Amino acid sequence: MAYIARRTGSRIITFFVVVSLLFFLARSAGTDPFERYLSEDPRIPQAQIERLRAKFGLDKPLHMQYLDFIQNTLKGEFGYSLYYKRPVFDVVMERLPWTLFLLSISIVISTIVSFAVGVYFAWKRGTKIDLWGTNIFMFIRSTPHFWLGMILLLAFAYYIPFFPLFGARTPGKDFADVFGFIKDVLFHATLPLTTLLLRQVGMYVLYMRNSTVEVLGEDYMVTAKAKGVPGWSLMFSHAARNAMLPMVTMTAMRFGFMVNGAILTETVFSYPGTGRLIYLAIMNDDFFLLQGAFFITSITVLMANLIADLLCAWLDPRIKI
Amino acid sequence: MMTRQKAKITRRQIRVEQLKKSIKEFAAVYKRSKSGLLGLAILLFFICTAVFAPFLAPYNPYTRVDRPFRPPSTRYLLGTNDIGQDIFSELIFGTRVSLTIGFAAAIFTVVIGTLVGVVSGFVGGAVDEVLMRFTDVIMILPSIPLLILLMALFGKQSFFIMVLAISIMGWTGTARMVRSSTLSIKERMYVEASKAIGAGDRHIIAKHVLPNVSPLIMATMIYQVAGAMMSEAGLAFLGLGDPGNKSWGMILHYAQTSGGWYANMGYPAWWWIIPPGLCVAFTIASLVLIGQTLEEIINPRLRRR
Repeated sequence: MAYIARRTGSRIITFFVVVSLLFFLARSAGTDPFERYLSEDPRIPQAQIERLRAKFGLDKPLHMQYLDFIQNTLKGEFGYSLYYKRPVFDVVMERLPWTLFLLSISIVISTIVSFAVGVYFAWKRGTKIDLWGTNIFMFIRSTPHFWLGMILLLAFAYYIPFFPLFGARTPGKDFADVFGFIKDVLFHATLPLTTLLLRQVGMYVLYMRNSTVEVLGEDYMVTAKAKGVPGWSLMFSHAARNAMLPMVTMTAMRFGFMVNGAILTETVFSYPGTGRLIYLAIMNDDFFLLQGAFFITSITVLMANLIADLLCAWLDPRIKI
Repeated sequence: MMTRQKAKITRRQIRVEQLKKSIKEFAAVYKRSKSGLLGLAILLFFICTAVFAPFLAPYNPYTRVDRPFRPPSTRYLLGTNDIGQDIFSELIFGTRVSLTIGFAAAIFTVVIGTLVGVVSGFVGGAVDEVLMRFTDVIMILPSIPLLILLMALFGKQSFFIMVLAISIMGWTGTARMVRSSTLSIKERMYVEASKAIGAGDRHIIAKHVLPNVSPLIMATMIYQVAGAMMSEAGLAFLGLGDPGNKSWGMILHYAQTSGGWYANMGYPAWWWIIPPGLCVAFTIASLVLIGQTLEEIINPRLRRR
């Protein structure tokens, strides 16, 4: 219990640091949004702009703005997007499901695949399969994944025009039933998902393989073999289970990396997710949107982190809960 | 007087001899690794391309040479882009930009990481705690949004700012590693001995800690170059590069945004999209191969695998 409390506590502190850092960075980086959006229009008098700034609290000193920001955020109030002219919360929530959908599916599949393939390579270590396999995955890992996405588009949307070129669903199409909708979404998500999968599997297969190889060298493996534990059980319940630990620890590190992947992949496929939204918010100096989108994404990331921690504790009884 | 000077020279000679010997030994071990040699060959190829870019490139990559979207031919090996620039020349000059940003950012990264790591490991206590929590925060954060923010904060998009932004986000891994090896070095007998005869912290860091972590730092640095090049490609692809210094990522950015997809009678200009990515991939793969070989040399336990 103490462990969970400590972990949660440190996550909350991390979260505050992140959000504050973001606030100050965003405020010092972005120019004043009203300057950007309104002052170019000569019909709007300066007094009007001043009044608007006062209304949004932008005339206050920075530390007061910060207090306002924390207060409002705790109330779940994220303000208005200056670009979309709608509440930030609505804009983010509209896109969050798409990103969560892409990321969660790719996490699940990539974990299973890299687990299986990594253990298999470790089992066959030193053979041709292992050698070729690890080299191929190393090369995949070295390629920029957004470029892999472009290649996939090139191959399977242009030269073999099967998959759609962009978006998350067919625009303006009404679906007769829910299956039609799911089919359409999956159809659109195939290429972006493949891109994310290639990136993650390329990364984790090698970790999994190396960590399994390390476990295979342990004394208890020799003991188990000598005891006559059958090969299958030896591989999965002895080797793989122990080798999984560093993998799970890696997942904690992995969510920031996932958000990066989402931004680039969503850009290539014009996918309407939060990754693309964060990028656009920065480009448009829309800092209320940026704060909100980043806040909500960070919460998601840190929750996932916490889950990874707990999973780790469950897998490794040496960590006392 | 004479004897003292003589002794000095011989000591220096001994040191040079030792260095020569260790380099020779290193080369002998390195040569045994086929993948290490392959990596080195690929990297040298790209470095040579970067150095001799003005002699190798047939055209100026920043001027128009022909009609837009010319497919590859003997005149334009990789065709032309949307404003009629020669893509082959763009790639050759892009090698310069990408490699320079990669190496420069890696140097900054390693310097920041080593500094934080050594201080954290050596001083310990509250300083260590604060520095490591801070490292954790930076590590968990998604780097691209922060990189974009940092770049926006600095204002103008330039080469140097790209390097700075990448190193500000990238030092965490190095810091952790350097910290843990500093911790283990600190506990060794010879450090204790030199403390006992009254050596100061600065002496111990300079004479014992840094020389012992430096091989490790060299290996990480190679990986850092790869990481920095990957970050650069991503950022440049999002359009945050310096337009005056087109890197491989920037070429891809223009291919994505300025109609590389509808160039060739409604078909994409594959000659514009495929080559830059391949260049990035081969360079990074070569760096990873070199890094792996260095790691094996430094940590022989890995070799038995």
